[in-house]
Amino acid sequence: MANAADVDALDFEPDDDDLMDDDAAVDVDASSPTAAAHIPKLKSAITGGSAAAAASSAPKKTKGRGFREESDAARSNRMSGRFDSLDSDGGPGPERSIEGWIILVTGVHEEAQEDDLQNAFGEFGEIKNLHLNLDRRTGFVKGYALIEYESYEEAEKAIASMDGGELLTQAVNVDWAFSRGPFKRRNNRRRSPHAHRSRSPRRRY
Amino acid sequence: MAEEENGAAGGEFYLRYYVGHKGKFGHEFLEFEFRPDGKLRYANNSNYKNDTMIRKEVFLTPSVLKECRRIVSDSEIMKEDDNNWPEPDRVGRQELEIVMGNEHISFTTSKIGSLMDVQTSKDPEGLRIFYYLVQDLKCFVFSLISLHFKIKPI
Repeated sequence: MANAADVDALDFEPDDDDLMDDDAAVDVDASSPTAAAHIPKLKSAITGGSAAAAASSAPKKTKGRGFREESDAARSNRMSGRFDSLDSDGGPGPERSIEGWIILVTGVHEEAQEDDLQNAFGEFGEIKNLHLNLDRRTGFVKGYALIEYESYEEAEKAIASMDGGELLTQAVNVDWAFSRGPFKRRNNRRRSPHAHRSRSPRRRY
Repeated sequence: MAEEENGAAGGEFYLRYYVGHKGKFGHEFLEFEFRPDGKLRYANNSNYKNDTMIRKEVFLTPSVLKECRRIVSDSEIMKEDDNNWPEPDRVGRQELEIVMGNEHISFTTSKIGSLMDVQTSKDPEGLRIFYYLVQDLKCFVFSLISLHFKIKPI
């Protein structure tokens, strides 16, 4: 069964709830001519200068009541403020979790059981934690598993050995679950950051 | 191919889910957000017994985002529409916002207590998809957050 574990609360200021973070303060993209054509200002609960709009490089087909509703100021505050995280330098590469290293297995056969994963992954090291979540509708395995090893080497060995391998005759992929920083989206890097913001003709010098 | 754009790592992906209500114990809500740069943000708030907000964030690898995307795309939620779903009410509200490829949905509805609520609604098929997708996403997020942040008791 799925492990809907409780999350421990850490100490921090409850007043942060009302603070507008830097994240939510800048909101240029939502009013770009391309986006504004048929997308009303995106709810600022999406922080980071409207992360959803920032992600877009082209107008999107939109659907849903959420676009027609008045944006609620409280919404923007909910996802702003300080969020707890484990300390990290923000660089590339996998990140250690609180007590070990977590890998994600995908392509897991829908009839797989915990024992099958123990057998396949137990040889690389002791499995400290295993989440094999079920599809809530069908009761079969959803298709992924999260496995924790105590050491980086054990997890790395598991990835190296099992990525592209097989479990119950079905191909699986194995990779780290957590990263130390954001990933660069190579697709968008080549474009100028301003390319999608304005339709006015480029200045000719 | 448009399909590749939507499904592969190259296409855009963003997901936000909110469920909450305002009542005796303040604004109680659960919200999580998968951002395009890989950041997962999770917030859970209640003033029940003077409790305070829980906020966690962590960067996910592209593999995790890809799996989240697969869960969403397998559900076929992007084909649905919320215009016949019950409106948010005093009991509560749910919001699901997803950007996948060139499609952007932003659905809102009331809380769903059980399958009965789904079956007696005006769009049982669509609402059922939403109902189960939300459960599957919660499972995924709770696993990620608890594995990353929670110490195992002795």
